[in-house]
Amino acid sequence: MRLYSLSVLYKGDAKAVLLKAAYDVSSFSFFQRSSVQEFMTFTSQLIVERSSKGSRASVKEQEYLCHVYVRNDSLAGVVIADNEYPSRVAFTLLEKVLDEFSRQVDRIDWPVGSPDTIQYAGLDGHLSRYQNPREADPMTKVQAELDETKIILHNTMESLLERGEKLDDLVSKSEVLGIQSKAFYKTARKQNSCCAVM
Amino acid sequence: MAETSEEVAVLVQRVVKDITNAFRRNPHITDRCHMHPATSKSRLYHCVERERCSRVCKMRKNQQRRLLGRKELILSGTLNPIKDLHLGKLALTKFPKSPETWIHRRWVLQQLIQETSLPSFVTKGSLGIIPAERTQQLIREEMEVCGEAAGRYPSNYNAWSHRIWVLQHLAKLDVKILLDELSSTKHWASLHVSDHSGFHYRQFLLKSLVSQTVTDGSILEQNTLRSEPAIVLPKDEEAVASAEESRINLPHLLEEEVEFSTDLIDSYPGHETLWCHRRHVFYLQHHLNGRFPHSVVQLSPADSPGGTLSDLHLIPAGPHTSQAMEVDGLSDSSKQGYSQETKRLKRTPAPDSLSLEMEHRFIDQVLSTCRNVEQARFANAYRKWLVTLSQ
Repeated sequence: MRLYSLSVLYKGDAKAVLLKAAYDVSSFSFFQRSSVQEFMTFTSQLIVERSSKGSRASVKEQEYLCHVYVRNDSLAGVVIADNEYPSRVAFTLLEKVLDEFSRQVDRIDWPVGSPDTIQYAGLDGHLSRYQNPREADPMTKVQAELDETKIILHNTMESLLERGEKLDDLVSKSEVLGIQSKAFYKTARKQNSCCAVM
Repeated sequence: MAETSEEVAVLVQRVVKDITNAFRRNPHITDRCHMHPATSKSRLYHCVERERCSRVCKMRKNQQRRLLGRKELILSGTLNPIKDLHLGKLALTKFPKSPETWIHRRWVLQQLIQETSLPSFVTKGSLGIIPAERTQQLIREEMEVCGEAAGRYPSNYNAWSHRIWVLQHLAKLDVKILLDELSSTKHWASLHVSDHSGFHYRQFLLKSLVSQTVTDGSILEQNTLRSEPAIVLPKDEEAVASAEESRINLPHLLEEEVEFSTDLIDSYPGHETLWCHRRHVFYLQHHLNGRFPHSVVQLSPADSPGGTLSDLHLIPAGPHTSQAMEVDGLSDSSKQGYSQETKRLKRTPAPDSLSLEMEHRFIDQVLSTCRNVEQARFANAYRKWLVTLSQ
């Protein structure tokens, strides 16, 4: 079971702003890594943009699960994991991270921040510690206060999109994805394995 | 590329030398990328092709032929089998599933154990018959290669079945190695809860341990997993004594595995693999409960089955000393089925009511606390299966 990325974003009116992110792409082959990272950023932003404030959701895409928590104050967190990683722990992690972030970074910096300007260094440590869910979070057999029935489940990324919107278009328009990543995506699509890069 | 077979031979030698040098300089090459392009395997393949098909003009990239070429190099003594294994290891970092690579690997290993005049197994005092140091090293290496490949691809059937093959053919299902494997793969399994092949491996280990420990006095257990009969146990007294010491506590092992399964099912809801695994372990447990050393049938058919079996295991029962089975507290006076146990589920006595009850309670607990739809489905399916077991 694995965590691949952990990001903090701000859900602006028009789009989601990436504030800080940590990645673990060690399981991907060397040449894929930068593209994978870009795709995870792209995905995280997209998910936050399509999720409403005060909601939690898990979006399934092939063997990945993206867990998102958008707070009422528009601060959002996304963790991208595999399908073995327990979602309960993922949401505990998100809660913890956003709580810590909001205490360390002034609210005024959120709407206009970027990974370079934001002063928050805890993400890498959290990501690495939570790789083993049982070490990071001594799991109680009793369910946490979190009501799992309120978590929205999406079976594909596509289900997040509006009618008529195509993932291909969003990919090609994206500012986050480099040329190589977009090319990878096209090839993967042709081979009928969407997001095989990820 | 060279035209004459002479030049090709030189080229082959040069490539092999390059590879050897690359390994010598960096014996810890772990990634294919690190290999100097000039010493890449493909060049070797092409050279060998050329040599074999000197009349053919076109380079063929058929992997079977490439491997055939490598086999020829090994048989002719040009390529050291150990080096070939190392090459294979690198290939697996990129293609962890590749069936041909695994098949070829087994061929090479067989060459290795056959070629040497040294025995693969030695007798080491009180430990009995164990694999020689060289064999142990090979086994360790293979375990590592399999482990890595398993990590690179989910439910890597080829890697895990290779691992099993190594245990069967190199390790000859040595009990200590089986036990080591059981404990060393535990952590990995807990982090790969949907890896069916990984859990199947644990089932194989447990099954092998069960069939080795439970041997009838007069009928040696036919282990269908092995091509050879069960290991003949030492007959002298000293060996018997130490065999008793190294006797494994099977029920305890199985109980631990059930606890492991419980822990994982609770922590990681909704994984069918875990429930599947539980079925296997439970079946092994109840299968074990239904089996007793032949000595029990021979010596005390009329005895109250409620008596402890702990003293029965010391009684030799026939030409071979049966390796006793510790069955503390598992005897159930309600079980009357000592006679003629067979492996078939239908003819084995029903699992004892206590363990069944515990399983049902476990299912109840899961169903009452889980909020995962899949988990509930699996729990109910497990319950249904338990019911069929007792019919």
